[in-house]
Amino acid sequence: MDVMQIANGLPMWIACGIPVVFVVIQAVLFARGAYRAGRKVGLTDDKMKKAMKSSAVTSIGPSIVVLSGMLSLLVTVGGPVGWMRLSMIGSVMFESIAAGLGTSAVGVTLGTDVMTEEALGMAVWTMILCSVGWVLFATFSANKMEKIEHRLSKGNAGTLTTIASAAIIGVFSAMVASHISKPFYSMIQKADAPAQTSAWHNMLACILGAVIMFVLSNVANKKNIGWLKEWSLTITILGAMIITALV
Amino acid sequence: MNGDFYKDEYTPQINKIGKITGYLGVLVAFTPAVILAVVYGIIPKPAALLTAFISGSSAFGVLWFVEPISYFPVVGPAGTYMAFLSGNISNMRIPCASMAQVAAEVEPGTEKGSIIATLGMAVSIIINVSVLTIGAILGTSVLAMLPDTIKVALNYLLPALFGALLVQFGVKMIKHSAIMVVVAFILYFAIGMGVFNWLPGASNWLGTLGCVFISIAVGISTLSNARKQA
Repeated sequence: MDVMQIANGLPMWIACGIPVVFVVIQAVLFARGAYRAGRKVGLTDDKMKKAMKSSAVTSIGPSIVVLSGMLSLLVTVGGPVGWMRLSMIGSVMFESIAAGLGTSAVGVTLGTDVMTEEALGMAVWTMILCSVGWVLFATFSANKMEKIEHRLSKGNAGTLTTIASAAIIGVFSAMVASHISKPFYSMIQKADAPAQTSAWHNMLACILGAVIMFVLSNVANKKNIGWLKEWSLTITILGAMIITALV
Repeated sequence: MNGDFYKDEYTPQINKIGKITGYLGVLVAFTPAVILAVVYGIIPKPAALLTAFISGSSAFGVLWFVEPISYFPVVGPAGTYMAFLSGNISNMRIPCASMAQVAAEVEPGTEKGSIIATLGMAVSIIINVSVLTIGAILGTSVLAMLPDTIKVALNYLLPALFGALLVQFGVKMIKHSAIMVVVAFILYFAIGMGVFNWLPGASNWLGTLGCVFISIAVGISTLSNARKQA
C-alpha cells in the first residue's frame, strides 16, 4: 500500500481526531470553571461575553497563519498527522524540524525523498516524543510556580499586577525586537538578497502595526468611538499587511 | 469572601483539571503512533528512534523547561496547563488572553484578570482547532489555490500583530516599554550576531526568557522606588 494512503487513511483520521478532541475538551472544562468563578468574583456575563468575543476575533488571523504553515506538513506527513500536530502542543517550525529529524535517522530527507512506511513511523514517533516534554514539565510545575510567585510577591496584589503587566510587555518587546533587529544583523552578516528583503518587510510590517495601532487607539479614545476600540486591532493588522505587501 | 472562594475553591479545581488533563493528554498524544503500529504494523526500530530522540531533545530539550518558566508570569497556572497542551503560545494564546482582558477592562495579575485570561485562551483554542479542521478537510488542493499575493501578505500578519500589541499594552507604561524595546533590540541583535552561540539553542529561548525577566525586574524596582518616595 502506498504510504501516503496510510497517512491519509480513515484509521489515521480517527487516531488523530482523538487528541484533537481532547484538547477541545480541556479548553471547555477550563472555560466552564472560569465562567462560574467569574460570576462569583463579580464579573458580569456581559463582560465575560465581551472578553470571549474579543479573543475570538483576535484568534482568526493567527489561526490562518498556522493553517498556511500546515500546508507543508500536509504534504510530507499527511493530513491527519499535520492537523493533529498543529492542534496539540504544536508550532509549525518545531513540527517540521522534528519530523525531519525522525525521517533522516532512517535515511529519508523530508520533502525531497519518497516517504517510506518506516520514515512515516519515525516522523510520527519523533514529533510526539519530542513534544510531550513541554506538557510534562508545564503540568508538573504550574502550581509550584504559582506558589513561588506568591512567595516572591508576598501575596501583595500590586506586586502581582506589576509582575504580570511587566511580563506581558517583556514578551511583546521580545517579539517586536526579533523582527526589527533581524534586517540589521542579516545585513552585517551579508545574508542572501531574498532573506534580507523579507527581513526588511517584516520589520516594516511590525513598525506599521505599532504606528497604525497608536493612531487608531488615540482617535478611538479621544472621540470615544466604541466600534473603533473593538476593531482597531483587526484594522491595524489588515492595514499593515496590505501596505507592506504593496511596497 | 470572594478571595476565599478563589483561593480555596477555584485554584484547587484548576489544578485538579490541569493535572488530570495534562498527564492524560500526554498519553492521548500517542494514539496516532499506536494506530500505525496496531493497524499497519509500522513500528520504528528502537535504535533509529533513539538517535532521532537524542537529536530532537538536544535541539528542543532546553525549551521544555525554559518556555513554561518564561510564560508563567504572563499566563498564570490555568494558562500554563492549557497553553502547553495546545501550543502556539506567543503567536496566539498570549495575544488572545491579553485582548480578552482589555475587552473586559480587568487588570492582569488580579483574580478577575486571570479568570478572563482563561476564558480568552479557551476560546482561542476552539477557534484555532476549528480553522485547522476546516483547512485539513479541504486539503492541500483547495489551500494551494490561494493567490500568491495573499500567501506573501500572510507572512506579515504576525510582525504587525506584535507591533500593535506592544503599543496596546505599552501606552500604559510608556517609559518602561521604551526601555524594554531598547533592551530587547540589543539582546536580539547580540543573539543574531552569534554572541551567545556557546549556549545550546540560545536563539530559540534566550530572547523571550531574558526580556520577560528583565522587564519584571525593571517593573518591580520602579514599584519599590515609587513606594519609597510615597
